[in-house]
Parts: sequence; C-alpha cells; structure tokens
Amino acid sequence: MILEPQKRISAKALTVWRISGAIKIVISWILAAVAIFFLHIFKGPFWISVLILGIELISTYFIIFLFPSLRWRCWRYDVRDEEIELQEGIFIVKRTLVPMIRVQHVDTVQGPILRKYQLASVIINTAATAHEIPALEESEAEELRRFISNLARVADEDV
Amino acid sequence: MSEPKRLHPIVIVLTIGKRIKDFIFTFIALFFIWNKGDGGKLLLFGASAIAIIGIILVSILSWLRYTYRLEQNELRIEYGVFVRKKRYIPLERIQSLDISEGILQRLCGMVKVQIETAGGSGTDEAEAVLSAISKEEARYIQEYVAAAKNPSVQEDIEYIQEVPNHTVYKITTSQLILLSLTSGGVGVVISAVLAFLSQLDDFIPYERLFRGVEQWAVSNMIIIALLVFVGFVAAWIIALFGTMLKYANFNVTKTEHDLVISQGLLEKRQITIPLTRIQAIRINENIVRQWLGYGSVSVESAGGSASNKEGSKVLLLPLVKLDTIEQILGQYLTDYQFTSSFTPVPKRAMIRYIFRSWFIIVPIVVVSIVFLKVWGLLSLIILTLITFWGVLKYMDAGWSLEEQQLSLRYRTIVRTTVFIKRNKIQSLELKESYFQRRKELATLEAFVKVGFGGAGGRVIDMDRMDVKKVYSWFSREAKIRD
Repeated sequence: MILEPQKRISAKALTVWRISGAIKIVISWILAAVAIFFLHIFKGPFWISVLILGIELISTYFIIFLFPSLRWRCWRYDVRDEEIELQEGIFIVKRTLVPMIRVQHVDTVQGPILRKYQLASVIINTAATAHEIPALEESEAEELRRFISNLARVADEDV
Repeated sequence: MSEPKRLHPIVIVLTIGKRIKDFIFTFIALFFIWNKGDGGKLLLFGASAIAIIGIILVSILSWLRYTYRLEQNELRIEYGVFVRKKRYIPLERIQSLDISEGILQRLCGMVKVQIETAGGSGTDEAEAVLSAISKEEARYIQEYVAAAKNPSVQEDIEYIQEVPNHTVYKITTSQLILLSLTSGGVGVVISAVLAFLSQLDDFIPYERLFRGVEQWAVSNMIIIALLVFVGFVAAWIIALFGTMLKYANFNVTKTEHDLVISQGLLEKRQITIPLTRIQAIRINENIVRQWLGYGSVSVESAGGSASNKEGSKVLLLPLVKLDTIEQILGQYLTDYQFTSSFTPVPKRAMIRYIFRSWFIIVPIVVVSIVFLKVWGLLSLIILTLITFWGVLKYMDAGWSLEEQQLSLRYRTIVRTTVFIKRNKIQSLELKESYFQRRKELATLEAFVKVGFGGAGGRVIDMDRMDVKKVYSWFSREAKIRD
C-alpha cells in the first residue's frame, strides 16, 4: 500500500485564503446589493431578494470559513529524491505523481497577499502538465525550487 | 554544408499570397468605409496600391534575409526584415521532420520542410519551416539530421542510404476505399433517419406539433429532408474524395532509427518520426469501423504546434484490421505490446457510467415531457440511445499493465486504446470523489507530452486497488517506502 504524502503547506495559507475569499465575497455582496436595489425599484418579487441574501450568507460562510480550512486540511505534498507527489481536493481527492526526471522547470509565484505573509506558490512544469503547490513559506519555496531544479538537472533523460 | 543558403524564390509568391490573405478583411472593410465619392475612391485606390507594394517589398526582403545552414550539429536559421532573428536548433532535439509538396512547390519541383522540436514556442508554425527547397536538399537535411542523432555513422553520411528500408505498411486500394467510406459517415446516417421520419407523416401529426407556426416548413417537410439529405451526401462525397486524395499512396517505411510516412496524390507529404521520440501509440475505432473489426493507429510525438496538429498526431496505419496490428507493427516497434488483455472496470461501476450519461439528457427529457405532453415521450428514444452509449462506455473501459507499459482503453465517441511506455508518462493522476470512495472506485489519468500541450488517457471508475497498483507501478519510490 502506498503511503499518503505527509507534508502540509504553511498554516498561514489559511489566513491568505480567507483574505482572498473575503475580497471575492465583498465584490459579490456589492453585486448582490445592486441587484436587490434594482429589484426593489422595479418592484420585482420579494422572494428573489430573500433568495439572493440567503445565497450570499451561505457562500460567505463557505468561502471565508469552511473551504479554506477544509482545503488546507486536505492539501498534502511530498518532494522526494525521485518524484513529487501532491494530494488535494475536498470532495474529489486528487493525487498526482510527477517523476523528478520529467520536471522541465520550476516557478515560484507570489501575489500581493502572499508577499505580505512571506509566502509563495511553487509551480512545477513538466513538458505536458503544470502542478501548483500553493502558499509555502518563502524560504521553503525557494529551497524547494532549488532542490527540484538540481535534481531535475541531474536526470538526463529527454522527452 | 556550412555556407548559408536561401530558399527558392517561389517563396516570395507564397509569402505575398499569405500576406494578402491576412489583409483581405482590412481591404474589404476599407472598401465599405471609403467607397463614397471621388475623394474616397482615390484614397481607397492609393491605400490599396501602397499596401500591395509594401507587401511585395517586404516579401522580397524577407526572402532575401531568410537563410539556413547546417553547422556544428545545429540547424541555424537567420531571418527577419526589421528585427533580425536567429534560431539555432540542435539536431538531436528535432522531434520530427515533415516534408510536404503543395501545388506551387510542385510546379517548381520544390518541397516544404517543417521541423518540429518539443518546445511549444506558442507560435502558430512549426519551429522551423523551410517553405521551398529542392528535393535533394531536403534529402540531404534528412540524412544529416539522422546522422547527427546517431554518432556512430556520422563519419560517413553516404552509408545511411545503404541501410535497407523496410516497408512496414502500404495501403491497398480496397483499404483506401473502405477508409474513405467509413470516415465521417455519421452525417449521412442522421439525414437518412430524418428522411425516414418525414415518411412517418401519417403517424405523427407534425401539423399539430408545430400548429401553423411553420406551416410552410411542415408542408414541405419531405422536400426539406430530401434537400438536407442531398446536401449531406454531396458533402460526404466531397469528403470521400478528399480523404482518398490525402491518403492515396500511403506508405510507411522504417529506416534505422525513424519511421517515414509518405502519403498524398496531389499534395504529397512525407513525415519522419524518430522512433525514440514516440510518446504514445493510439488506436481509434469509430463505431462503423469497430463493428467491421477495423481501427486506425496513430503515433503521438512531442513535436507539433498549436495550429499544426498533424505534426504531433500522425496517422501510422489509417485503416487496419485490429488483429493484424501486432503482426504489422510488432517487429518494428519492439518496445510496445499490442496484444494486451484488458482488465475491465468492475461491475459496480456500470450504474455510475449510466448515471453520468444521464446528467444532461434527463432534464431535457423531463422538460420535453412536461411541455410537449405525449409527444415529449419521443425524447425517451434519445434517452435510450444515450443510456446505450453509457453502457458501451462502461463495457469498453479497461486497463492493462505490462512491465514497462501502461495501456488504457476508453470511449468518448470513438473507442480509444492508448499504449504508453512508463518513461514517457509525464505525470499520473488518481482521483476519487466522495461517491467513488463509497464504491471503492477511482479514476486514473496518465499524461504524455503530445504536440503543443499534453494528452494521454483516462479511465473512469476503475477498481480502487487497481488504480493503486498502477500508481505504485509508476512511483519510483513506492518499493523503497513499503
């Protein structure tokens, strides 16, 4: 039986995901407010407004609180000498296996929120696919990037 | 061959044609905007003249500036009118060499050579295109590339010509006809069904169905159906001749390290694929062909670009009886095993396959029954067909594992069997949804590098333990960790 990957991503990722979730939710609240406003003006049925409010409330809870923590709990990865293994997904669990010799290049990406919390995402590219490990500690991401590119360089097997 | 060489001047004509084609919409737009009054006409004429002269000049210049040479095991191309560009391609990185002859090239006895590498540079064309060079030149490049890849014979390029070429496959006339007949015949079947339905006029009161909304359409149902049918047949015949011209003289030979495919009657093509660059081998069977026991085999290589899909998915055997594939290819592609016995997906997956096919169709059926009442029940026929299709998908899904090879079989519309070597898999994915987990099922997907992006194979709802087995087969460290 294969063991599941062990490493978790940074706990600060939770905060980052909550913040970016909050930004999305604020935008959707604004849209909802506009929609309700127009419904009121044009005397639309009242129950639609209630429905919109309900959906907004539920998705606020889901996107800011529930999903980030579930997602964080589900995210695992492992970088070993010969392969990288990723596991993610709440409802659909997806496990990916990438042999080190197939890695073409590695990127680290950092958005404004990630930068504020000294986090970075690592994107591992093969000739055909790209795989992202989100929100690692900056130092860890950098180390990982170097580690992978060193190992990948050793392997001299071509496409 | 180290001195820079130019392409044949016919390229100028080709470039002018291509540029004008790109500009034609601008011309048309300008025509409508400025075609008012005398001043406008003058402006239009002037602008067109300047544009055409500009295009001709730029085309000549770009021909002058385009040079290529073979040097230090690299193909070196220099081009560009305003911005000078150099592209050096190491010969051993070349994925495939595609030689074709368009009508213009043929008039001058030239060929077009497209060179593909694994790099998807995001451009539309292949990595290097030599639009018109002489046939001898093309052969020379071919041999040079082959020699560069195989240093042992590099000292003596002439030697390569003496390597015997084995003919792997040659299309016969009857196969060509069958191939043309069975490609895309679905449209005809559909229109035949339509024509048949229109004959049921007495049983199905179309008038009441559409109630005068399209009185004309209803009263002329038969004529419309007939016209549609004739249209389909015409399109099919045209497609039939197109296929025949494209695949006439289809012929595959194996040289020492490459597969060479040549095809075509009016426009000749020759494609060279190095054996080591083959990423996967795929057998496709559409419903008609599967029923007759035939399929088509294609090789997927890492070359190719966004617009030139043919560079990456090359038809190797356009039409072949399935049970002869091993016999034809086995001795040449010795790494691959074509006679795998496939393990089907477990029985408990069947219901999921059927449900999945129902996702879109069931709401449609419900809606049409609610709104069209009794006649909506006709949609149940579609439901039956879709269900049948789901069952087919279930029956076709399967997998097989050899020591170094993963074979996956699944159906989208056609049945696909894909053979992938372990060291060509870029990444492997295992997916389980909540419902799959309850039934101990999982989805397996393997990615290989094909052309511009990736491709591969996916089998849904395999037994979970089987997926894990494939997963640890692919894992390089599973054994260590156990």
